[in-house]
Amino acid sequence: MVQSLNRTLDMKMGEDSNIILLGEDIGKDGGVFRVTEGLQAKYGEDRVIDTPLVELGIVGMAIGMSMNGLKPIPEIQFQDFIFTAFDQIVNQMAKMRYRSGGTITVPLVLRTPYGGGIRGGLYHSQSGESYFVHTSGLKVVTPSNPYDAKGLLSSSLDSKDPVIFLEPKRLYRSGKMEVPDEDYRIPLGKAKLLHEGDSVSIITYGSMVPAVLKTVTDNSLDADVLDLRTLSPMDRDSIIASARKTGRVVIVHEAPRTLGMGAEISALISESSIEYLYAPILRVTGPDVPFPYRLEDLYLPNSSRILSAVNRVLQFR
Amino acid sequence: MSEEIVEHGDKERMIRGFGAMVLARTLNNKIMTAQRQGRVGFFTPTSGQEAAQIGLSMHLRKEDIIYQYYRDMPMMLHMGVPVDIIINQIYGNSMDIAKGRQMPSHLLARDYNFMSVPSPVATNLPLAVGTAYANRYLKKDGIVVASFGDGSSSTPDFHAAMNLAAVYNLPVIFFCENNGLAISLPTEKQTKVEIWKKAEAYGMPGILVNGSDMVDTYEKTREMVEYVRSGKGPVLIEARCPRMGPHSTSDDPTKYLTDIVKEGSDRDPLIISQKRLVEMGVITEQIASKIREDSQNFITSKFDELEKIPPPSPETLFEDVYEEPTWIIDEERGEIIGRN
Ligand SMILES: Cc1ncc(C[n+]2csc(CCOP(=O)(O)OP(=O)(O)O)c2C)c(N)n1
Ligand SMILES: [Mg+2]
Repeated sequence: MVQSLNRTLDMKMGEDSNIILLGEDIGKDGGVFRVTEGLQAKYGEDRVIDTPLVELGIVGMAIGMSMNGLKPIPEIQFQDFIFTAFDQIVNQMAKMRYRSGGTITVPLVLRTPYGGGIRGGLYHSQSGESYFVHTSGLKVVTPSNPYDAKGLLSSSLDSKDPVIFLEPKRLYRSGKMEVPDEDYRIPLGKAKLLHEGDSVSIITYGSMVPAVLKTVTDNSLDADVLDLRTLSPMDRDSIIASARKTGRVVIVHEAPRTLGMGAEISALISESSIEYLYAPILRVTGPDVPFPYRLEDLYLPNSSRILSAVNRVLQFR
Repeated sequence: MSEEIVEHGDKERMIRGFGAMVLARTLNNKIMTAQRQGRVGFFTPTSGQEAAQIGLSMHLRKEDIIYQYYRDMPMMLHMGVPVDIIINQIYGNSMDIAKGRQMPSHLLARDYNFMSVPSPVATNLPLAVGTAYANRYLKKDGIVVASFGDGSSSTPDFHAAMNLAAVYNLPVIFFCENNGLAISLPTEKQTKVEIWKKAEAYGMPGILVNGSDMVDTYEKTREMVEYVRSGKGPVLIEARCPRMGPHSTSDDPTKYLTDIVKEGSDRDPLIISQKRLVEMGVITEQIASKIREDSQNFITSKFDELEKIPPPSPETLFEDVYEEPTWIIDEERGEIIGRN
């Protein structure tokens, strides 16, 4: 995925001189995960800016750039460090169009790695998607493979609204696949059905997608696997269609359960389709504790937890 | 110096500046009265800060971009923002650019390069830095002004913006309107160092001006504006301009403020600036009275006329969140106001 993101950024920067990258260690160093490797050498220090260590400044500057004709792509080194910039995101970025009656817009793509899987402990592992999804005015996107990473990043750059682009860092260097050189788009707000079945719907996104798919194939489950890809706005139609087809739903995400995406998806299905359901909607999520260092594997939802939730909804009567 | 200004044909500019000060004060007083009458919801008075703002904006040009804060109505009037735009915002009516979404005082006039005012103080400062970066990158003319209060100088946003603007040597004027208070907290409890002196720590020039005197502010800020315009980097200007009223219409300043500058007293910037201009031979007392009278008539009729404009339509609640409304917003609109 790192390579796909890097090549997409390169291609887009080549096409549009108004695209500016800014963040900590993204220039000379190429970013701590190497997503911006080589781009400063190619496009110069004015376009790939190594910033001082100030998240609210990175985001605030990016907002001001986009209000004045540029297309900035700020990077926050780890999503865990975004909170000093949260005010800028919630009160400036997300509300500018609304509070200016549509006369000022903030087209930008804020990239940040999130989630666990790198032994990063409390502060290099968090999955904070709900904070952003809860804020109207933002779009929230998360790819689960290199192909989608390119298509979603390209669509995010087309968006006239600010996009929070969450990169599952656990998948940065896994899941090798062919990514076409040509330009293509994956529309925002559209989920993808990665596996089809009639007995149960497993709804997931981002870092949990490979684990869910593996569970399904290893156990030959007759399951729909829906990768949301965009968390805000969610693909209501695909969620509802799958839930109505199978009548049994399990939602899987790494973020803690309370007020996670699972709560919203579950509410959406019960509000729209309760009469189609044969079983309660179950959630398999990270627990409501801070993200641990040594016990990371216990924290992350795994195949056995996914399988046991699937079995519970399948056997429910 | 003052004679020099007059000789250099600045007389017109001085008269226009003074005219805007008077207009702003007249409108301020009108809004405050209307608020007490229940015709307006809220306001943050701008009285006492007119001379500081206009003394600076007399150097500004159309292409300059302003990240103003909630007390900068006088500067906006001076830079040619129509009174209608301001009054419509104060009423939050259907002609308001922001469709009545923000509390009064949170002004906006994109066509006049005045950006939108947020409530969280100082959050406009990092944006100004980014906008200045874009200006330079895109080779656009113009500089960026970011204004804020003394209290706002304690925020992380102030620090971030000052540091970033200096690191990238960007054309930004940080304009601190020090009115002596942040709601109830006096400036000496806000910070241990005079605000203008902080400039040095970031690597930019800083000056202090008497913001109660339009001519003084104008003269002293000239060099700073030229410095920024010539691409040398950012500056910090602190203008001292004591608040003349409550923090806002919701505030009772008697608990914390004893020495308040009274309207028409010899500490009122309108009186100070008028005296200076009369001494300089730019205006006469008669002209000043005429300006006041004209402003009064103009504002009164405008204010009454625009009050008749209806509130924004219910649909506007659901517009402008995104370029296209999401299905969620569509659904919620349907629930609340019915489908069209
Ligand atoms: C971040 C933030 N905290 C608190 C407030 C509430 N508040 C509104 S104005 C104000 C005082 C601001 O003082 P100053 O910056 O000196 O500006 P002034 O109102 O004096 O012009 C406070 C605390 C706010 N708007 N934003
Ligand atoms: Mg103050």
